[in-house]
Parts: sequence; structure tokens; C-alpha cells
Amino acid sequence: MKRDSRLTIILIIIVGFLTVCPVIMLVFGSFSEGLSAFGKFTLEKYIAAYTDPELPKIISNTVIFVLGAALVATILALFLAYLNNRTDIPGKFLFKVISITPMMIPHILFSVSWVLLLNPSNGILNLILKQFFGLENSPFNIYSLWGMILVEGLLDMPIAYLIIAPAMASFDVNLEESSRVCGAGIGQTLAKITLPVLRPAILAAFILCIVRCMASFAVPSVIGMPGRIYVLATHIYQTISVGFAVDYGKAAAIGMSVLVISITLIFLYRYLTSESEKYVTISSRGYHPTIIKLKKAKIPLFFILGLLLFILIALPVLVLIYTSLVPYSMVPSAKAFSMMSLRHWNAVIKDPISILSLKNSLFLGIFGATVGVILSLFVAYTIVRIRTKMSGILESLSFLSFSFPGIVIGIGFMWFFVRTPIYATIWTLLIGYIATYLPYGIRPLSSAFVQIHKHLEESSKVCGAGPLTTMRRIIIPLLVPGIVSGWILMATMFLRELSLSVVLSRPGSEVLAVQILRFSGDGLWGRLSALGIIMIVISTTLVALVSFIGAKLQPAIK
Amino acid sequence: MEIRIKEVSKYYYSEGKTIKALDKVSLTIPSNQIFTLLGPSGCGKTTLLRCIVGLETPDSGEIIIGDEIVWSGKDGINIPTEKRGLAMVFQTYAIWPHMNVYNNVAYPLQIQKIPKEEIRKKVEKTLRFVKLEGFEKRPATNISGGQQQRVALARALVAEPKVILFDEPLSNLDAKLREETRKELRSFLSKLQITAVYVTHDQIEALALSDIIAVMHSGHIVEIGSPREIYFNANHQFVADFIGRANLFKAVVKAQEHDKTIVSSDIGTFVCQKREFPVESKVILCIRPEFIYLKKDRITEEETTGEQNVISGQIDNLIFIGEAYEGEVRIGKEHLMVKLDPETSLKKGDTVNLVVSSNHCLLVSA
Ligand SMILES: Nc1ncnc2c1ncn2[C@@H]1O[C@H](COP(=O)(O)OP(=O)(O)O)[C@@H](O)[C@H]1O
Ligand SMILES: [Mg+2]
Repeated sequence: MKRDSRLTIILIIIVGFLTVCPVIMLVFGSFSEGLSAFGKFTLEKYIAAYTDPELPKIISNTVIFVLGAALVATILALFLAYLNNRTDIPGKFLFKVISITPMMIPHILFSVSWVLLLNPSNGILNLILKQFFGLENSPFNIYSLWGMILVEGLLDMPIAYLIIAPAMASFDVNLEESSRVCGAGIGQTLAKITLPVLRPAILAAFILCIVRCMASFAVPSVIGMPGRIYVLATHIYQTISVGFAVDYGKAAAIGMSVLVISITLIFLYRYLTSESEKYVTISSRGYHPTIIKLKKAKIPLFFILGLLLFILIALPVLVLIYTSLVPYSMVPSAKAFSMMSLRHWNAVIKDPISILSLKNSLFLGIFGATVGVILSLFVAYTIVRIRTKMSGILESLSFLSFSFPGIVIGIGFMWFFVRTPIYATIWTLLIGYIATYLPYGIRPLSSAFVQIHKHLEESSKVCGAGPLTTMRRIIIPLLVPGIVSGWILMATMFLRELSLSVVLSRPGSEVLAVQILRFSGDGLWGRLSALGIIMIVISTTLVALVSFIGAKLQPAIK
Repeated sequence: MEIRIKEVSKYYYSEGKTIKALDKVSLTIPSNQIFTLLGPSGCGKTTLLRCIVGLETPDSGEIIIGDEIVWSGKDGINIPTEKRGLAMVFQTYAIWPHMNVYNNVAYPLQIQKIPKEEIRKKVEKTLRFVKLEGFEKRPATNISGGQQQRVALARALVAEPKVILFDEPLSNLDAKLREETRKELRSFLSKLQITAVYVTHDQIEALALSDIIAVMHSGHIVEIGSPREIYFNANHQFVADFIGRANLFKAVVKAQEHDKTIVSSDIGTFVCQKREFPVESKVILCIRPEFIYLKKDRITEEETTGEQNVISGQIDNLIFIGEAYEGEVRIGKEHLMVKLDPETSLKKGDTVNLVVSSNHCLLVSA
């Protein structure tokens, strides 16, 4: 027991440092004069930040963007979850693909591929349409609020799906059946029973999407900035990027309100998810939801599903491959194919910064995820198994970073790191990544712990095994699936990390996403695409490799 | 090995309330006996067992196994579970799903770093003992509940511990299998020189399996004795009521004879087993249904010796349950549960004489 509380305290210190330190530094920073001068207390930064004449426009953009994208994501997710769980739509395995793809395709590349397709000057789709209909002007302009909303909505849909689908699947079907017995039709039952009962889950998904959209940097920077549509994230970025008047204090002052809103929403989210677990109870007896026969709607709906998959996965990859091979943006044609070459690929491979960023990201992905999973393992153990008041504190602490908008927390860390010798090294990124993405490692591991009955562990102790042996022979093998999914989640997120990196990355510690952002700023679409494809190949290979190793390690558990 | 438990208390705090799971429990569990902790659900049996094995830390008291103090509040001794050298069969069996039967059973020996060949021999022997030879290679989750239960038993026995603890090991089996396994368990344990501490809430299991039974009630040990003592001669109303079924009536002691006690109750005057209660004190009269004989005819002279109590009443209710009839007999305003032969010719509404031997009229304190 003493051992347990010592472990809990050590973890509280580590996780507390990771999550509370950047917040405190951000608060201090927002009241101080500049990055190097902590010194005097000043309200100047707040005054400067909140009297900015640009701010009202930025806030209204942010609200429209965030709510719009969250709405798109939630509605799409609801639609897909219903199709998967409650209808006889064919090809159900496709839903699994939808829920894991966001790990394969980095948000920045997804956004870039839409820019390549729909930008007003030479977007491929625009070019095709102009040619086909003989139009003067491009029919679409991705550099707009609706463009941002659509792309962000598609990107966040899987998050909403992962919350709504399980709630939909565990829904007690008797509730619906009794409504049908009372004489309500399918539509009425859906509106009056199904959706209201699922409301906490739907709301939770919506709120989480809002938090993710607020933290999103890829879409606002790649799609918003060229169209001069600024949201809070890009506004903060501008305040600290070289070339503008760099002002970390002002950035922190703006960041404070983003952070406060995020934290509030995340705790609301937590309340709602615990509520929805209470609400939607699965009976332990064999349970089969009534499946609604789609009949004539089956084919069109399946077509929509296929289209969505195509848009989410195939289209961005195809666009990037194509762009990496043609010399400049052009309509796919015989001429284009004849002009294809590997010159962009060569340029990327010869570019020392691209290679450095590749190495750095690989290191951060593999090493960072390993460290992250080990930490998550101990935290999950403490939260699920020790269950004291102290481990409750640990849980709240680790949950806190769920709300962290990368760019804001990056600024908080910046204040801390400039005072340490690791400033401007890759270690700042490592620490920042783990702090920001810790919940993604903890979640799969704590649900794995929940599934391992306490007796399995205790009986090992009774057999004479010490805590380490029990860990090695009983707990770890049973945790392999959780460890694998936690590792994959963290590694892919680290590999593609952008929003924290744009703040913390310095010459020498460049990472892939930052390099891609730079290419996009310079309009070097060919090189960007080549590097992007390399990035996608790496994360897909990693995922495949680790899943394979996991399957090997995992003896047949029936 | 003997286990001594001295004034062990364990409190839980939940939702602002204190639950006294164990309240100064003192107990000696003798060597090489099957000792059962029997009591209703929530009375603290599992807590006590877990304190013995070290999975739970008591709040105060002392636990001594053999000559070793394994836990002591005042001396700050706490030997961790893995160093206590005990064996335990969990209610859920706790079979590790990622290992086959062989590795599950071999685990305690592997921990002790015994040579492989020796492990193989011991595991084989133990599996033969629990009648599971040939199951070595099976995934441990791919066998029936009864077989899992025996794997758990084999794992507990393989290292030849001096003490084995059972926490309701049969409660996850269906009724028929439970009965068979209970008999097997009894024969397994009686072949070994081992102290077994067995926890159950099932009185039949406790009676059939144990050498000694300790009845628990809300964190206290109420009574300890052999199955026969507990069944026939309980000293407490709770025990009499919990073990089997009992008719309980308020009564007042009227006289003390040299080997009998005489009481008067709402259903008449009874000659009872001798108990040292003062005359005129209030007691509870306890009569088990299975010891009440019903007769339709008049009672003959020889049947009414001083040893027998005879009262008459009317059958109010009869329910056929296969092996017997369960009946209710009305005597004045009171009702008495009785048990009748399944071939009885008595019917509802019949007036009958009830005969109860004084040996089966138990007095417990009110
Ligand atoms: N971890 C715990 N936290 C709070 N209360 C507990 C805990 N474990 C047991 N209890 C309480 O202690 C009492 C005794 O529990 P237990 O020993 O499991 O009973 P039994 O095994 O006899 O059914 C019960 O009232 C139970 O609710
Ligand atoms: Mg119990």
C-alpha cells in the first residue's frame, strides 16, 4: 500500500509537471513583458490583446468556423454510426476503416490536398471545371470560411464517430421496441426516443469536436491564412512568428481565453460522458439491436458511404501523388502524364532540412510514443487499480491535457524552456508532445486495465510473484492490445504533430509537419507532396508493423 | 499450520459512511482442518480471507501464521502477499487467459525457480490428482467452468502449501456440478495434510465440507463449532436461524431440572435441552421443521414420555416440493413450519398432533 501511494505521488509529480507547468507559465507569461523578461507584473499585454481592432472579426470567424465544423463532424458521425449499428447496409468493415484513417493521413496533408483541388487560381478540380464548361472564373474557392468548415468537419468526424458509435451500439433496444409497441413509427421513434436517449453522447461528441476545432492549426493555416481569414489559432501564431512584431506576452494573453474555454468544455465533456454511460445501459444478456432494412435506400446510401471513404482517404493520397510527379499544377491529361518526373522527389531527398525533419519526426514518433506509453501504463494502472483520492487527482491532471490547444500550450512551454538548457532542442518537442497527447495513451490502456479482473493479478501475488514479476508475466501480456493501440495512436500523432511544433520547433529541431507548412507557404507544392507521401508511407508502415508485432506477442485469447 | 487472528479490525469508508467489515475479530484456525467461515453476503468473510492472505491491510490487530507474525498493527509488521507462502482459490478462479493449463499450474513453481524437469513432474502429478491429465496444452479459457475450477485448485496445490484459502469457489458452478465438486473437494482435501480456510454463504456446503464452522455476522464471529454442534446446539438465535430453517418463538424459562429446561411459550409449555438460563428469563425457543413429527391419531401412552413434547394444531397449508411436503400448522394464533414425508396421507385442514423431542427444542438467548 505504501508502494502504491509512493507510485501515485511520483506520477502526480511527473504528470503535474507536464500539464500544470505550461499552464502556470502561460499565466505568468501573459502578465509579463516578454519571453526573456519575466520580471514585472503588467496588464499591458491583456490590454493590447483585447483592444486589438482586428479581434472582433477574428472572434466571429472563430465562432463560425468552430461551430460549423463541429456540427458537420457530429452530423456526419451520427449518420454513419446509425448506418453501421442499426441498418443492414453492406460493407460494414468500411466503418472500421473510417474510424482509424485519421491516424494515417495527417491533417495538414489533408488540408493541402483540398487546396490543390479547389484553390481559385490553379486548383485541379477548378481547372477541370473551367475547361469543361468554358468558365471564366473558378467555380470554387477553398480559401473561405465554408472551405475551412468542410475540411475541418471531415477531419474531426472520426473523433465524433468514436464517441457516438459505441453509445449507439450499446443502446438498450427495449426502449425503442416499447415505443414501437405504443404505436410510433420508425421515424417517430428515432426522433422521440433514440436521439433523446443518445443526447449525452451526441453532445459529448459535439463538445469534443469544438475543442479539437479550436485547437486546430492545420486547416486555419493552410486554408484560412491564404484567404486572409484569421481565427484565434492563426492570430496567435501571427503574433509569435518572425516577420511580424513578435510578442509572446500578447500571444499568451489571447491564449489564456482559448485555454479557459477549452478546459471548461473538456470538463463539461467529461461530465456528459459519465452521464451517457449512466444513461445507456447494456444489459448483460445477449443483446441484438433491431436492424432496420434499408430496401431501396441501400444502394444510394452505400454509394454515399463509398464516396465519403474516397474523399477521406483515396482522394488526398491520389492528389498528393499526382502533384509530386507533375512539374506544376495542371489538369490530368496525356500531356501531364508525359511531363511526369521525379524531380520533386529528388529535390526533397537532397534537401537537408527535409531529411533532418524526417529524422527528427521519426525519432519523436518512435521514441516519444514509447516513453509516452510507458508513462501512460503507470498512470492507467494507478487510475484504474489504486483508486485512492490521490489517484483521482492524477486522473483529473492527466485529463487536463485533453483540452490543450497545441499552439497555446506551446507558448506556455516556451516560457519554461527558454530558462532551461534544452531550449531549441528536440527534447522540448518530446516533452511537449507527451504532455499534450498523454490522454490518448492513457485511454486505451485504462480500458485494457478495466478488462483485466483484479483477481488475475492478486492470484499471481498469492502464488509468490513479486510486483515486477506480476507485471511482466501477467499484466503486460494481457495489456498487449491496449499497449499496441496506445502506441500507434501516440506515434502517429507525434509523427504528424503541427500545432505545438510550430511554436517549439527551432532551426535544428525541424519536424515533418512544420517543413510541410513551410513548403506550403512557399508554394512548393511538388516537394510538399513528395514529402507528404513519404510521411504517409512511414506512418502506415509503423501502424502495420506494430499491429503485426502485437498480434505475434498476443497468444490466442479466446 | 495454525492461523491466529487477534482483534483484527478493518473499516471501509465510502460515501461518508464507515463500514465495519471486520470488528475486532479474534479466531484460531487449527492445523490440518477444513475451517469454514460461513455467513450471509456482506458479513466480512472475503475481507477476513483477504487480510489473512495479505491482499487487504487491516486497520488494527495481529495475524500470525504458524510461528510467523505476518501482520501486526502495533509492531508495524506487514509481510507482503507474495512472501506469505499461502495458496488461494478465487471466486472467479483467476485463470490467466493468456496461458495454457500447464503454465497456469506451473506458475508458482516457475516463480520459485525450480528446475524445469521437476516442475514438469510436479505439475503432472497435481493435474492427475485433480483429474485433469491430458489438459496441459489446452488454452486455459477453452475448458468448462468445473475444469477451470480444478485448474485453480491444482495451481493452489502444486507448490504444496501448508495453508490453502478458498473464497466461495463453487458459487459460479450450476447446482448439480456444485454438489459433485463439493464432494470431490472434500476428498481431495482430506487426502492432504493441509489447513484449509473455506469461505461460503451456503450452509449446506459448509455443513458438508467442514471440520469446523465459524459463523459470521456483520463483521463479528458469532459462533464456532463442528457442523453438528452448529446445527443441533447453536447458542445464538442468528446461528439457529441461518443454519437450516427454524421456527422461532418467544418463551420464558419456567423451571430448571438437572438435564432439562422447561419453558412456556405462545404455543404451549416445552421441555427443552438444558441451558443455563435463570428462571423467568426471556429466551427464544427454536424448533427445526425436520424434527417435528406429525400424527393424525391420538398419542399413545408410551409416546408421551417426559422426553417428548406434544401439541395439537391444524394444517393450514401444504406445498409439494418433490422430496417432501412443506407445511404450515396453526396453533392458536401462531404458525409452525413442518416437513412431511412425500407419501403422507395428511391433507390441508386436518387436525394433527405434533411431537417434538426435547433434544430438538433449542433455547437461545433473546
Ligand atoms: N473495497 C471496499 N470498499 C468499500 N466497502 C467494502 C469494500 N470491500 C468490502 N466492502 C464492504 O465490507 C463489507 C464486507 O464485505 P465482504 O468481506 O466482501 O463480505 P462477504 O465476502 O462476506 O460477502 C460489505 O459491507 C462490503 O460492502
Ligand atoms: Mg465475498
